[in-house]
Amino acid sequence: MEFSLQDSLQKILGSTGFVALNWGDGVMILVALTLLYLAIWKKFEPLLLLPIGFGCLLANLPNSMMMSTDEGGLFNIFYFGIKHEILPPLIFLGVGALTDFGPLLANPITLLLGAAAQIGIYTTLIGAVYLGFDLKEAGAIGIIGGADGPTSIFLASKLAPHLLGPIAVAAYSYMSLVPLIQPPLMRWLTTSEERKIRMEQLKPISQTVKILFPVIATILCVLLLPGVAPLLGMLMLGNLFRESGVTGRLHETSETHLINIVTILLALAVGSSMTAESFLTVQTIKIIVLGLLAFGMATAGGLIFGKILCKLSGGKINPLIGSAGVSAVPMAARVSQKVGSEEDPGNFLLMHAMGPNVAGVIGSAVAAGVFLSLFGDLGMDGHAAVEQVPAALASIIKP
Amino acid sequence: MSLVVSSIYISILAMGVIFVVLGTLIALIKVLDRCFPYQAPPPAPVSARPAAGAADEEAEHLAVIHAVLSRHLEKDPSQIHLTRVSSP
Repeated sequence: MEFSLQDSLQKILGSTGFVALNWGDGVMILVALTLLYLAIWKKFEPLLLLPIGFGCLLANLPNSMMMSTDEGGLFNIFYFGIKHEILPPLIFLGVGALTDFGPLLANPITLLLGAAAQIGIYTTLIGAVYLGFDLKEAGAIGIIGGADGPTSIFLASKLAPHLLGPIAVAAYSYMSLVPLIQPPLMRWLTTSEERKIRMEQLKPISQTVKILFPVIATILCVLLLPGVAPLLGMLMLGNLFRESGVTGRLHETSETHLINIVTILLALAVGSSMTAESFLTVQTIKIIVLGLLAFGMATAGGLIFGKILCKLSGGKINPLIGSAGVSAVPMAARVSQKVGSEEDPGNFLLMHAMGPNVAGVIGSAVAAGVFLSLFGDLGMDGHAAVEQVPAALASIIKP
Repeated sequence: MSLVVSSIYISILAMGVIFVVLGTLIALIKVLDRCFPYQAPPPAPVSARPAAGAADEEAEHLAVIHAVLSRHLEKDPSQIHLTRVSSP
């Protein structure tokens, strides 16, 4: 073969990423750097935004073969874990192992606060449909209001995989902004007297109840909504590891090493899906706006239901714990504690707020299960489901 | 039927389902709590030796803290090991 210095140089230069770099890649690199900045210097959900940002950076450097769609590439293999619903349920396993269900079991009525906060999901669903998304896409966007990253990723990968990147970034960004988004709403929707309410100490719960609850709750919920099995099943298994007292090593692994490893894989896979083609669209801007609406409405829903429970209980429940129904464990509970202690420094709401906080995790998983039953592979197709809803409601209202 | 109206119907239905599921869990917790009520663990054995000197006083403090901690953490006293109490 004849060697030509000029040809060789041209080949080497032609194979560099600089030649293939276009404006879209440049903007996405800036987006990735912004995420890294927010994670490192602003401490916004650093455990997630840092690997998401770096995954996004690698995916948008041309010819790197690091996009989630690059067949055989490293991140393509990581993305397999999202596409085939492996990674989000494993995160839930770790969350279950980390979470004490005690406050929820001691005050089960707080489950209703977790249910009420899911209103954010459905107001966003309506808003998303109004803005031109189809029902599956709107469901995937609405679940941002559950304030639960793994659930958002799980549902987006099933209903609208092309929107996974923006949905994940919006969910985790707003979760990190919970301490900024929630307090103004909490002060606006509650009175000073309500914020000062001191709640009674939680009663102790027997270990038998703590062991039986995850088992029986799994049976009930999965029979009611089979689509919820991967998320709720893993959450309850992780909690059973914790409470059973016979699986110390599995419990320790789930709440430390496993959840850390899976977080790295999940976040890198999400970041690698953030390419210019999928991210730099008008839809992304709409999703970011709808995500804020979702969080605001979810917080308001929890607070308003908290006020209702406060009235019904004769002033025994502080409505501030309602805002913790948005999931985002344990940050939302900490915000309830912080706002309550601003009004009365001796008021300790943290453990009380953990009840609705855990209920929010269960509630958002159930909401995802409802969407999967309506639009997923398990149930009928979306349009058929929608056609049947009014008839079903009418039969309930006019028997 | 417009998609927005459909989404409103879906929202009402889905919120209903969520309240039913979580309401069922409330009932489950209440039944479990009634069937298996909490029973306080037996108090930790505290030695009744008379306190004589600093070492005995520390042992007494340890025993009291041990009993209170095991009760507060709802754990068997044998699972908690205290070795020393430091004064501020």
